Parts: sequence; structure tokens; C-alpha cells
Amino acid sequence: MADLQERRLKDAQMRASISQKLVETGERERLKELLRTRLIECGWRDQLKAYCKDVVKQKGLEHITVDDLVAEITPRGRAMVPDNVKKELLHRIRTFLAQQSNM
Amino acid sequence: MSFSGCQHLQAFKAAHGTQSYRIIHKYFIAALSTEARLRKARSCVCHTCKTTTVRLHSCLHCVYFGCYGANHIQEHAASKNHTLAVDLVFGAVYCFACGDYIYDGELEGIAGENGKSFEDSIGLDGCWVPTDVELQLLHQNPKRRKISDNSTIGLRGLINLGNTCFMNCIVQALTHTPLLRDYFLSDKHNCQMINESERCLVCEMCRLFQEFYSGVRTPHIPYRLLHLVWTHARHLAGYEQQDAHEFLIAALDLLHRHCKGNNGLSSSNPHHCNCIIDQIFTGGLQSDVTCKECNNVSTTIDPFWDISLDLGPPPGGDARNSLYGNGDEPSSLMECLRRFTRPEHLGSSAKIKCGKCHSYQESTKQLTMKKLPVVACFHLKRFEHSTGYHKKISTFIPFPEELDMTPFMSSSRSHNNGYQTQVVQEAASSLSSQNKYSLFAVVNHLGTIESGHYTNYIRLHKNQWYKCDDHMITKASLDSVLRSEGYLLFYHKQILEYE
Repeated sequence: MADLQERRLKDAQMRASISQKLVETGERERLKELLRTRLIECGWRDQLKAYCKDVVKQKGLEHITVDDLVAEITPRGRAMVPDNVKKELLHRIRTFLAQQSNM
Repeated sequence: MSFSGCQHLQAFKAAHGTQSYRIIHKYFIAALSTEARLRKARSCVCHTCKTTTVRLHSCLHCVYFGCYGANHIQEHAASKNHTLAVDLVFGAVYCFACGDYIYDGELEGIAGENGKSFEDSIGLDGCWVPTDVELQLLHQNPKRRKISDNSTIGLRGLINLGNTCFMNCIVQALTHTPLLRDYFLSDKHNCQMINESERCLVCEMCRLFQEFYSGVRTPHIPYRLLHLVWTHARHLAGYEQQDAHEFLIAALDLLHRHCKGNNGLSSSNPHHCNCIIDQIFTGGLQSDVTCKECNNVSTTIDPFWDISLDLGPPPGGDARNSLYGNGDEPSSLMECLRRFTRPEHLGSSAKIKCGKCHSYQESTKQLTMKKLPVVACFHLKRFEHSTGYHKKISTFIPFPEELDMTPFMSSSRSHNNGYQTQVVQEAASSLSSQNKYSLFAVVNHLGTIESGHYTNYIRLHKNQWYKCDDHMITKASLDSVLRSEGYLLFYHKQILEYE
């Protein structure tokens, strides 16, 4: 149990320092831009946008909040991201981390 | 919903102005300087639970960051009666009194400006935002063209202006290179030839792409292009038959030279050029020369735009063939590539001074792909010009629709010095889908070495093929493409890593 907890703590620290590095260097924004481009290219954005429009129409513009919309579309949005895109991003992050000697 | 925010935000702006939003946006959303990014990286944590996770918001009234997911910003807003908070990812303002994000023209304007300079500062192009002129144009031309799966937009014949099929087939291949098309149709070229843009080949390509994708079905007459090629590449001028491969290289070279200026790099260093041509077509070829005496390897890497592959029996045809097996004529593209990347014994007549043992020694040389280009052009050397005779090799060389370049990469180099460790192999196999290519254009030569005609096949959408024969465009099957002779083969990388 202690081991597991220790590992969780280490993982969390690692995540925090990776995230810090990504922000510091501006890499996070570059990755975001890449992801944005890929999601547009593969039609993800158009599909999700159409779905959002449906949801808004269904509930009525005056009765829906961003939170409602986010809750409604998140599961579908996540499921629709193509594996290729995830893979490419993972590879990109790996490459970036490998270049960071002081991690 | 409106763009004038809500009454709570209006009251806040009347009392405090937009300064706090401006500061938050500049330092924590679009962090402009390295210093600001460092600060952002260190201080963007929830003040209550210390996590950096999703949807961190900053209070607009006081210095407090809280996460939305665990309700910390909501609790803060309720206890302090601070109704407005800024989302630290997108910069949107949330009003707790209204219970939703609100949109305010003035704040969106600040965010837009900051976002733009931020993108510039880390070298991103960002999204296209239409200028006033472009908005006006869009309003004046309300008809939008939608590309459906069976649309033929992009297909256009080219009139032959007198033995100019060598040019037409390359133009067809270039106009159907996906990344090049994206570049030109999104109007990215910034002409450097002030006052003489009619002499710029890149500008002419821009016009050509407009012509191709305009939806017009009559053949295009590429006289301006031909004239430009004649003035810039004198060796191709005149109405004689020319080699399509020679034209391809001349065209890439001219485009590359005319792009210059907007890449911000010195012309003396072409290897690190980032013009669109180099971004798409340039790969790196690694050459390893191994000294037979001391096994010292000296490595050089050279840029390339295309790969010329030998088809005939290897010249000399003696000892080195028995050394490396299979000296026969290659019978497929894969075999051509294997032959291209296998170690080659530089005979006793070509001794090289070894950098380590400082003596002239026999050596072996091996070429491998260090960096793969986005578009790989393979040139099958069908025209043989040996001493005394010229002939065309018309052997059928099968080529695949999908090509994996992993075996020809420097990282998979089989090596008798034993540096190919398991780690290298594993890395190579896990990334193998990174090195896959799809065929998208094939140039064919019909006829003999003295006279002939060029046609080509191009891919439209994902899997539709068309045959281009000057002004004639006909539908073709993948089968007929793969069974054609093949002179120039154009492959596009399936997965693009971004720079």
C-alpha cells in the first residue's frame, strides 16, 4: 500500500513538472495548435459542432449554459478523437521530453 | 446571448475598467515573454487544492486562482461575493450571478490582440481571422463551394504548347500534392520580388492553383508558366522534348529560390531552409563510409529532393555482387530501394583517406534515410546513357500503393560493427507507422528514348484515380495505375510530424 501511494505521489509530481515544462517553453500552445489543426482536418470539429447545434436547438438557446453543453458533448467528443491523432500527440510529447535534458 | 456581456460585468467595468482582465490575459493566458511563461508555469495552480488540472479560473476581483471542476472558484465567488472570474485556458469570463459564461466585445478584443501577438512570439500561424476587406469580399460573394466525395474540383486538363507534356505531367503532380495545395489555396505566399511579381514562379503557381481549383472544366493554357520556365531555366527553353525529371528538379529549385526572403535564413545555408518546397520535399540522406582497415565509420548527411533508382544490372558486375548477393536487375520498387541502401564496396581504384588510420584504404559506402521527406519522389532511371549507347529500360517495376520506408532508415541500418542494439530495433518498430507513405501521383513515359509522350495518374480524394494526358482527363482504376510502367513515383507521408 505504501508503495502504491508513493508511486501515485511520484506520478503526480512528474505530471506537474512535465506540465510546467510544457507551459514554460510554449510547447503546450504549439501542441494545442497541432491538435486543433488535426481535429479540423479529420472532421472532428465539424461533427461536434453539428452536434452542439442540435443540442442547443433542442434545449433552446435561452435555457442552455456552457456547462450544460460541455456535460452533454464531452463523452462523445472524447470518443470521437481518432487514435492516429492521439498517437501523434503522444509521440510529439515524448520527443519533446527526450529533448529536455534537465528533467 | 449578446456581445455586451451582462449587467454585472458592465457594472464591474464601469467601476474598475478592463485593466485587471488585461493583466490576467497577458500574463496567465497568452503569456508573451519567456518570463511571463515561467511565471505562468509556476503559479497557475488552484489556491485551494494545489492542482494544475482542468479549467482553472482566476477571480477578476482579487488575486485568487481556483479550479472549476472541484468547485473551488465557485466557493470563492460565493463567500467573497466576487461574481466574475476568467477561465485561464480560453480567457472567457464567467459570471456567477448569471450562472454562465458571458461575452463582451471589448474584452474579446483585448483577448484577440493578445492572442495574436502571443502566436507570433512562439512562431505559430494561428487561425485565420478575416480582415475587413476579406469580410467584405465574403459578403459580396455569398456562394460557397462545397467539396463532396465525388466532386471533380481540382481536375483540369492542360493544353500542350508544343512538346510540353514533360511540364504538364509535373504540374499535374504538383497541383495534387496535398500540402502544396493547402499552402497555395490558403494564400500563404508572401512575394519577395517587389514590383516584379510577374517574374515570380511561386506567384504563378498561386495563380495556377486558383485555376485548377476554380471548378472550370475547360483545359487551362499554361503559357505564362512556360514563359517563366523559359526565362528562368534556359536549358529547358524551346520546343524540344525534355525530360520530366529534369523539369521537376528545375521547377523545385526555382520555386525554392523564389520563396527565399520570407524564410529569414541566409541563402548560403540551403540545408536549413524552411521554405514550403524544403518543408515538403527535402529529406536527409546519410552516407556512411567504413574503412576496411580499421572499421572507422565517417558519416555525412546531405539533403535531397528526389531519389534516383538504378534499374539495369549493376555496372562492373563483378566482385562486389558476389559479396552482397543478388546483383541481378531489381524487379520491384522495394528491391530498387534495397539496392540503393545496401553497402557498396568502393573498389581498389577508389581508395579514400581514412580519418582515423590516416592512410588510403578500400572502404564500403552505405546510403540510408536519415530524415524522410513529407513527399518522397522516386525517379526510376529508365533512360540509360552509357558509353556508346542510349536506351530506354522498359522493364515493369511493380510499385505498391502503400510503402513503408522503415527498412531504409538510418536507424534500421544493418551493421556488422554491431551498433544496432535492441533498443534501436524496438524504437524503429514502434514508430513504423510513422514511416508509411501513400502513392498519390505517377508519371509515365510512353515511347522510346528519342521520342515519346508523358502522361500521368493522379489521386483525387482518398481513392479516386484519374489519368491526365495533356488536355484529356479520364477516370482510372487503381489497378491500371499500379500496372503502369512508372517513371516518377510520388508518395505522400501518412503521418505528419509537425515542426
